[in-house]
Amino acid sequence: MIKHLKTLLRGEVDARCLEKPNLRWFIGYCIAIVLGSSVYGATIGLWRAPLQSVFTAIKFPLLIFLTCIGNGAVNGMLAQVLGSGLSFRQTAFAILMSFAVASLILGGFSPITLFILYNAPPLASEHAILGHSVMLLAHVCVIAFAGVMANRRLFGLLRKMNGRDATARAVLFSWLAGNLFLGAQLAWNLRPFIGSPQLAVQFLRDDPLRGNFYEAVWRALRHLFL
Amino acid sequence: MNPPPLPSKQPSLFANNFVFEPMPDPANPIRALENLLKYPGRIVHELHQTRAAILATWLLIFGIAGVAIYGIVVGAQSGGAQMWIAPAKLVLGMLLSVLICLPSLYIFTCLGGIDAQLRSVCGALFAAVCLSSILLIGFAPVAWIFSQSTDSIVFMGTLHLLFWVIGIRFGLRLISAMGRFLGATSRGHLRIWSVIFILVCFQMTTTLRPIIAPSKTFLPTEKKFFLANWFETINRSDTARKK
Repeated sequence: MIKHLKTLLRGEVDARCLEKPNLRWFIGYCIAIVLGSSVYGATIGLWRAPLQSVFTAIKFPLLIFLTCIGNGAVNGMLAQVLGSGLSFRQTAFAILMSFAVASLILGGFSPITLFILYNAPPLASEHAILGHSVMLLAHVCVIAFAGVMANRRLFGLLRKMNGRDATARAVLFSWLAGNLFLGAQLAWNLRPFIGSPQLAVQFLRDDPLRGNFYEAVWRALRHLFL
Repeated sequence: MNPPPLPSKQPSLFANNFVFEPMPDPANPIRALENLLKYPGRIVHELHQTRAAILATWLLIFGIAGVAIYGIVVGAQSGGAQMWIAPAKLVLGMLLSVLICLPSLYIFTCLGGIDAQLRSVCGALFAAVCLSSILLIGFAPVAWIFSQSTDSIVFMGTLHLLFWVIGIRFGLRLISAMGRFLGATSRGHLRIWSVIFILVCFQMTTTLRPIIAPSKTFLPTEKKFFLANWFETINRSDTARKK
């Protein structure tokens, strides 16, 4: 299984592995997602409190799985409508593979983000803002890098399956758009991940389904410009 | 009649001595050091063999010893307890930096298309650190002369960092060579990792401060980032000089 995951990271996975998705690899991808994203999630939440790190370690893989499940049907349909030839099962498998790549990368970075956290001025200090800013920037860069690499690998696989760049690109972007759209909202529902010093440490905020990520962004933009 | 052509070795991938061939007498640690400097390609080749663990261990031991020796020179500026504190901190910092960056190196080698075992990756990193520490020993007399000529922590800190950067540049070249030996499809990933490793090491010097100047506590009581600490030290030095 480790050999297969390494092949996945190298981008050398054969298109045949998608033609007959097997249960062993499916379980392997899920384990990779749980381990990699949990460990990384713990380093995100640790800045606020140890309990927050436990909560974030649970919520990070949960976010990934909920996004995959929530968008499973529409991703499968888009893949077929755009002419990729992938079935629903193959679509779910391919997306899980890309999340496994991202989670492995995030897991690999977790000692580094933990080191940054160790060096960040604590919450109570006068330089807490600097520490928070550096940490936020570091996490954004790491998650962006993991996302870019995972999508590059997914694009390579789609190209091998389909043989056409244009179709592979269309399928990838449609999946990306859908996953980002739903993923942002689910992240909002599952907040907090980092945690605010002014608010209590909670697994979920009160009434987690109330409110909307896009409405919050819109309100923030209105406050900024109007 | 023309003489027969000479049997060609594996073509060298770099201008100087990165020929990937078996190392004679790989169990001999002194030979390993010699090959690390003169024929690093042989080290890369050996680290990919089944007996790589022994070589990797020796490289780590030599790396620790080299950094410790250079640490004595660093501590010599302040003298006293710094003569053992500086080497201890440099060794600890080196080991922690290796430990922190090893998982990401393994991931980045995979992302770069390299099919390497974990032991080969560990060995390459130990070799890189060992090579940089050997070069630091070479710089040690120069550093000592300057340390006796000035009280400026900023100047000496800059000089030590500069020597270290030169040393690690050669070390990281060895990791890049491992990538080529193992058929990397992309060099960009290892370059990104190299930048991350250098940044971690720079921050480690601040995490374990002070290394040159003496202090009441072994580790600092306040957390700071590298640049913040550096600028504060420069400002403090300027203020002290004006007085």
